[in-house]
Amino acid sequence: MIDHDEADELLAGYVLGSLTGADADAADRLLDEHVPDCITCRGTLDAFRGVTGELGLVADPLAPPEPLFPRLERELAGGRRRRIPQWGPARMVAGAAAAVLLIGVVGLSLMHDGGSGPSELLTKADLATVTDLARSPGSHVTPVGQAPAGAPSEVEPPAHDELYVMWTGVPTPGTGFTYRLWAVRGDAVTYLGDFLPDNGVVALRIAVDPTTVDHLLITSEPLGSPPSQPVPSLQQAG
Amino acid sequence: MQDTTDDLELHRRLAAGDRSAFDELYRRYAAQAYGLAYRVTGQQMLAQDVVHDAFMALWRAPEAFDERRGSFRTFFLSMVHHRGVDQVRREQRLRARTEKAANLDPLEDEDPADAVAEAGYLSVRRKEVREALTELPAAQRQVLEMAYFDGKTQVQIAEELAIPLGTVKTRTLAAMRKLRTLLAEAP
Repeated sequence: MIDHDEADELLAGYVLGSLTGADADAADRLLDEHVPDCITCRGTLDAFRGVTGELGLVADPLAPPEPLFPRLERELAGGRRRRIPQWGPARMVAGAAAAVLLIGVVGLSLMHDGGSGPSELLTKADLATVTDLARSPGSHVTPVGQAPAGAPSEVEPPAHDELYVMWTGVPTPGTGFTYRLWAVRGDAVTYLGDFLPDNGVVALRIAVDPTTVDHLLITSEPLGSPPSQPVPSLQQAG
Repeated sequence: MQDTTDDLELHRRLAAGDRSAFDELYRRYAAQAYGLAYRVTGQQMLAQDVVHDAFMALWRAPEAFDERRGSFRTFFLSMVHHRGVDQVRREQRLRARTEKAANLDPLEDEDPADAVAEAGYLSVRRKEVREALTELPAAQRQVLEMAYFDGKTQVQIAEELAIPLGTVKTRTLAAMRKLRTLLAEAP
């Protein structure tokens, strides 16, 4: 049974980014195991987060340094999404071959049985939890790539040995198709698992070491097809 | 809150890839974000990086904001604060209070007056938040400010104030709860 005073204490420290050690671990457990299903705690978390946003107004505004906006403009001009490699046949073959090496290194299990279900690497997560992780101090959120709707994001929370994906407004893939998630490192491509949106929402926990992944790739492929190589039907460089 | 609707509309346009919406959100919040980031990090370059990263994160992953969970303003400033604290920790550059911009004097070549002039509704809310902060008992306010503006951990605060860690936790929670109530009551 959760003591909500204790939970609130952790949530207050968590939103301020002031927890360390055992308290930080306890907050992580609270956020993973309790908050997603507790309306009271979710309300408290949102309210405390609102307070931290409001406290930002206490600081007097300062005109940002001149170079900041041009710096942003340069990056925005480069496109919204992180560049995704083009998957020419040669690259796909190289990727598939290299994936075997990567699998050997990180101990991944590639599904060769048709890929009709999620692998052990991929588990469904709670969207609110992933969103919280995305907003936690030190969390890195990067786009997975272009998509027909919305924008899937890769979330790398600090001090986590795993990655997350959140994607809202996800269209159902065509009949007989599934979404497929890959980890890319250099030219190596590793199959992570298949997934389908739940009422337009995808929230996934990926049990891979973030340091072994350059970026993620999502493709839409025929259901049950062997995940031997990615088909660039959904995510491509523009 | 005034302009909340506008912020939401701008966010929707930004999520659809509208660059002009990004520019407008930058115009609205860059000065506030930079002021906050500078106060937390105490260094221009770090503060600039924090604001840069926050705006790029907003552009790249606009879906991280969920309007059902709060206003865009609090979401964005909360993100800036978190990134500021993270920078402080990462760079191991916690500075003494005297080195910080506690008095928030304008930096050379920076004119905060311009920023205030372009964000009138923010200045109204700023006054309300500052007033709420003054209503906290001094001990609670001290702990909260050390955590929020100095980026200190609860353990560091306990050590500096020579009080039990449990007391830091209790005061932090009391301060957050009171601010939650006061800010919700503010007109």
